[in-house]
Amino acid sequence: MSFKVELIAMAPEIFLISIIQYLIIYGVICTTSSYLNYPILVNNLSWLSLQVLFFLGLLTSYNPLTYTLTFNDLLILDEFSIFIKTIIIITTACTILISVKYNHFERINAFESIILLLLAVTGILLLISSFNLISIYLAIELQSFCLYILAALNRTSEFSTEAGLKYFVLGAFSSGLLLFGLSLVYGFTGILNLGDLFQFLCVNPYNLHIINGINLASLFILTGLLFKLSAVPFHLWAPDIYEGAPTTITAFFASVPKIGILALLTRFAYLGFYDIFFSWQELFVISAICSILLGTFGALMQLKLKRLLAYSAIGHMGFMLMGFSCGCFEGIHATFVYIVLYMMMAVLSFTFLLGIYRKKRLTRLNYLKDLTILTNSNPLIGLSIALTFFSMAGIPPLAGFFSKMFLFIVAIQSSMYTIAIIVVITSVISCFYYIRVIKLVFFDANYLWVTLVRFDREKSILVSVITTFLLCFAIYPLPIVYGVQNILYFLVRNQFDLFYT
Amino acid sequence: MILDQTKYLFITTFLFLIGLSGIFLNRKNIIILLMSVELMLLAINFNLIVFSVFLDDILGQLFALLILTVAASESAIGLAILIIYYRIRGAIAIELINLIKG
Repeated sequence: MSFKVELIAMAPEIFLISIIQYLIIYGVICTTSSYLNYPILVNNLSWLSLQVLFFLGLLTSYNPLTYTLTFNDLLILDEFSIFIKTIIIITTACTILISVKYNHFERINAFESIILLLLAVTGILLLISSFNLISIYLAIELQSFCLYILAALNRTSEFSTEAGLKYFVLGAFSSGLLLFGLSLVYGFTGILNLGDLFQFLCVNPYNLHIINGINLASLFILTGLLFKLSAVPFHLWAPDIYEGAPTTITAFFASVPKIGILALLTRFAYLGFYDIFFSWQELFVISAICSILLGTFGALMQLKLKRLLAYSAIGHMGFMLMGFSCGCFEGIHATFVYIVLYMMMAVLSFTFLLGIYRKKRLTRLNYLKDLTILTNSNPLIGLSIALTFFSMAGIPPLAGFFSKMFLFIVAIQSSMYTIAIIVVITSVISCFYYIRVIKLVFFDANYLWVTLVRFDREKSILVSVITTFLLCFAIYPLPIVYGVQNILYFLVRNQFDLFYT
Repeated sequence: MILDQTKYLFITTFLFLIGLSGIFLNRKNIIILLMSVELMLLAINFNLIVFSVFLDDILGQLFALLILTVAASESAIGLAILIIYYRIRGAIAIELINLIKG
């Protein structure tokens, strides 16, 4: 009865939890000491957490174990979870990196925001590793609670508290629905483990009493998860929350929790409930079509930048659900390539939102028209914005085109012609609002030139690395495409192992 | 009348639906919304305990105990967010939550 294997397998999470406790004690002692003159520790803790995330990335990717079920089948460690954890750690590090100067500008002085970000990352890491319905629910709740508090971080702003309240209601409601589905799964089968559920459904797929119950349960589970992904028809408050929350927190929860929920959805749809995938497929297709349509037509009318990015996130989520609905290995391959590239583009778009503010009255970017004629003030920013938004629109030879192309090829290969045609037409329409941003930055006339605060060093490095990557993806896509394929192969191999055990 | 599993499940499902409709049909204030969320979680707890008794499996009761803990902390966070919202706005009526729209 030794926990040696658990210590090695779950070393990243155990390390992160211990470091968070240390950072809390350090923060409290230092900020309340009159000897140090009550310092503001947000900046300090941001750089400390970047160091923590660096070590966490090393611990995650250089794990000596391959396929391990730890804590009595509660948490699983396989190559898929290692890969997703690495993506999450890198994206979180980018998010914290771009928020350092903005916290100073916006006077977000509570060091607890960094602690809550790290706790949310803990929740997401546990969610990705989780193999049991209990740990899925507990990890989702840990992540969601930290995000509720983070959305309401700016206590003196009406928008922020309203966004926090809306996010809390949305999250509590969706967790309730998800939990009802999980309890029905337990009730109809007596199984709490995803691997056992897969074997159970393989053995008796024709027992109508159980299959009807499982279908009802999976409806509730899928509804709860689609709420958290802000897919249609559950997308209603996502633009409000994105607009109201502080922009650094919006950058975090537009990118990172979605990867976790998508990884969880992969485990549900392709491992736990794979035998009844046909009933999930219909829901995925409907949700994907409506998400893309509504994301596009909603974003056409927007005047504010954060709402535009929120609606475009809904559209991109529709693309990912389209990749999920194919049911074959190439489907999840294309989806995860899209996820990796989309995370880069999302982080980039929020970098511009956080880095551009005017020197004269220190106004930040709220409306689209604040972006006019940016190129005269800072031509390289204009070029980077052009590359980012062209990539999000899907213009070749940038990376976004290839990610969309893989998804279309997979959809047509799985004979889903209707959804492919609708999505192609809608993605042409969605080009409009991305290219409108580029037109504003380059060509619009404004008789007053603006002087911007200098785009600082961390953001500059991030922008240059990611735009170079987006440009060169066409020449050298090998690391991402074959890397994802190798890793998802292990997901299929483990399923095969479970089937024959 | 045989008191079997489905009679108990009627109760839990109706409790869950009452909590669900409490969120949708709420036009008064946010505290009713928080109470409805708690009612949903309570119904799910009952559901799990009923299933645990009829499946003769202890894991349902374990799951229910953990959900109880999480529900307590969730209501604490909800009330905290409600308090900071009230400090800024001065009211908790539902129809006044319309600053961010579109």
